[in-house]
Amino acid sequence: MLSVSRVKMAFAQLSRSLSRTLGDTPSLILKRQFSVSVVRSAIQKMTRVRVVDNSSLGNTPYHRAPRVIHVYTKNGIGKVGDKVLLAIKGQKKKALIVGHKMPGQPMNPRFDSNNVVLIEENGNPTGTRIRVPVPTQLRNLEGDYSKVLAIASSFV
Amino acid sequence: MLRGKLSLIHEVRRVSPKNRLNKEFHSWGFLNTGAHFLSLGSRPFLLGCVRTVKTTTWFEEHLTEDNQEYMRKSLGEEYRRQIAEKLCPLKDEPWQRHKWTEGSRRVGLVAVKLGMAPIWTKTGERHVVTMLQVQDCHVIKYLPKEEYDGHTAALVVGGKNASPFCKSQHQMEMYGNAGVPPKQKLTTFKISDNALIKPGTPLYAAHFRPGQYVDVTAKSIGKGFQGVMKRWGFKGQPASHGQTKTHRRPGASGPGGDPAKVFKGKKMPGMLGNIYITAFGLKIWRVNTKYNVLYVHGSIPGHRNCVLKVRDTVLPTRSSTIANPPFPTYFTEEEGDLDEDLYEDNLFVHTEPSLTLT
Amino acid sequence: MAACAKGLDKLRHSLRLLRNTQLHNERFLSTSKGRQSAGSNTEQPPKFVPPSKPVIVDKTRAVASLRKFLSPEFIPPRQRTDPLKFFIERKDMIRRRKVLNIPEFYAGSILAVTMADKNASGKTNRFVGICIQRGGNGLGATFVLRNIIDNQGVEICYEMYNPRIQKIEVLKLEKRLDDNLMYLRDALPEYSTVDPDMRPVPISDTDEVPVNKLKVRMRPKPWSKRWERPRFNIQGMRFDLALSPEQMEHAQKWAQPWLEYDMLKEYDTSKLEEQIYTEVQQEMSKKPLAG
Repeated sequence: MLSVSRVKMAFAQLSRSLSRTLGDTPSLILKRQFSVSVVRSAIQKMTRVRVVDNSSLGNTPYHRAPRVIHVYTKNGIGKVGDKVLLAIKGQKKKALIVGHKMPGQPMNPRFDSNNVVLIEENGNPTGTRIRVPVPTQLRNLEGDYSKVLAIASSFV
Repeated sequence: MLRGKLSLIHEVRRVSPKNRLNKEFHSWGFLNTGAHFLSLGSRPFLLGCVRTVKTTTWFEEHLTEDNQEYMRKSLGEEYRRQIAEKLCPLKDEPWQRHKWTEGSRRVGLVAVKLGMAPIWTKTGERHVVTMLQVQDCHVIKYLPKEEYDGHTAALVVGGKNASPFCKSQHQMEMYGNAGVPPKQKLTTFKISDNALIKPGTPLYAAHFRPGQYVDVTAKSIGKGFQGVMKRWGFKGQPASHGQTKTHRRPGASGPGGDPAKVFKGKKMPGMLGNIYITAFGLKIWRVNTKYNVLYVHGSIPGHRNCVLKVRDTVLPTRSSTIANPPFPTYFTEEEGDLDEDLYEDNLFVHTEPSLTLT
Repeated sequence: MAACAKGLDKLRHSLRLLRNTQLHNERFLSTSKGRQSAGSNTEQPPKFVPPSKPVIVDKTRAVASLRKFLSPEFIPPRQRTDPLKFFIERKDMIRRRKVLNIPEFYAGSILAVTMADKNASGKTNRFVGICIQRGGNGLGATFVLRNIIDNQGVEICYEMYNPRIQKIEVLKLEKRLDDNLMYLRDALPEYSTVDPDMRPVPISDTDEVPVNKLKVRMRPKPWSKRWERPRFNIQGMRFDLALSPEQMEHAQKWAQPWLEYDMLKEYDTSKLEEQIYTEVQQEMSKKPLAG
């Protein structure tokens, strides 16, 4: 028992030292406080997602991670380019999927997290910048994504 | 013993002349598998409680090694001679040929499923194709209207050479009339009256051309006796919540008192697969004339190496793609200068430079 | 007169012999690199080529042989498919390889792939990343590149024979301790971060491919897979930092030590590999690169 606790202590120390060494290059993945849903089907109801734009709503910390409460597709599964309804900070907000963990077609990127961009009711993005790369296949999809694509910083 | 046998086959293979490559690959295939024949004369002693009467033996069971070798060699030579004889069907008194008219039905092919592979179009799209090889496909018999069903004429086509030792005398007579080696698979194709071909004519993959659509009939993979969830996609019952011994059962089989019966065709557990299934309207992307390989769009029923039937599609919307096909079939003397590979116009050929999309 | 001619002949013969021995000596002493530079010197005298460093070559090896490498997708899987299918597929693969140079690489190498993408600006898309997996066989072969861009892990699965691929560059050729580096998804991000403007690290064609014996540190435990389980058999991971000895011992519960004695699972491809290698080499050398 004692040895186990000692090991745990050692781990805690180690992780602290690690975070200190990594302090110069802050990584979002280490900061993440929740575990992202596993890869079953891309994005469905109750999937916890990561808001990747710079809107204040998506970036202020809150004790409950944003969750998908509805997917606006026929089969209830959201892929890149689909709109979803989020429960974020106790309010409902629409969002656009810009990347997910589940691998899609070959030659297309797969991301390490389920990324969404918050949008208003009329389709305009809430934030003014997207901090992560956005898949280029968004351009290929029908639907008006031009305003979302305009605020993207990089493409992959 | 076994090793000796195998090496022997290899030797015989090496001896075989290279008249046509696919022949070399396949005409000897049957000798690897155990060929056996009925030997009624050599019945074992029936004493007391012998209940299973063994009437089948390997054909080489009572032969010396030399005799086996001789049998194999002579058979192979006979097969090769027969096939080579039929290579130029237009030379020796062919049957009268007719012109292609709208609505004529051509004969089909018997092919072997090789496996699947990806292909790409010039716009960068990826499709999967099934590769079908046409092995030793010959017309065996012509059935005129009266003999077949009174409405249409038919052609019996066989594919993939087989051992003569497991064929009956009657069957061997039919192959002998056509002058071709015995076949593993025989199928009948309904044809229009103007599309008849003389028995013994070899059929090649170039019978079909890239861009046209075909129907493929094959026996699907057998799954054995299966329940309703696998066979018909029923939902079953929940795993828990007080279920007792009811998880994958069909549930009710119909209403009770009024009809007082189970309707015919009720979906029940039973044998799944191992039935003939036709995949309609599959596009031909590419034809390899050297190895006689067809590249057919998508998946096809049946397992790998199964022998199947390919014919022009019967779909009314797709049949217009068969414009001016080789009629009644492709003859090597007529169009001997075909390329090794025939491609669909939109298909990416691997010798071209990489795509640049605009 | 005749005797004179004979004498001349002898002399010429001996001269040739001498030259031959010289040649042999040269071959023993220098590497292929040195020879190349010498050749270019004779052709273009004004251009100065710095003499390559003298490399001590093992004399037992007569000629520094090129690395022998057969891409794994050429080896057919163990199944009852007609070998003709793989043969035909191989022909297509070789045709494609004559147009597009698909270099030698392994899981752990750093690659840059340029692909045609009608949605990207400039209609091409270049992605640099570490190869974490090679999969598929025949024309359907794939490889997965992974990189971390803007603190976001990105992976792209490329089809090796897709005509959209315009160029494959190997920026750093090396192997890792494992053949499959999928565990980098759960490792600290620094292990899968690659600079997109990286310069290629040169490596000679004759050297052995270096093995990077790096052991990665993992993020705390909820991982995408239980990498400590014996079926993954992962060498390049610091389990001592991530898991306690008790946990490591517990993972051994899923070990299947009898599998290595299962003779039915044996698939010795060495002979097949040799055949296919010679076939591919012959086909590739038949015609020079088109274009």
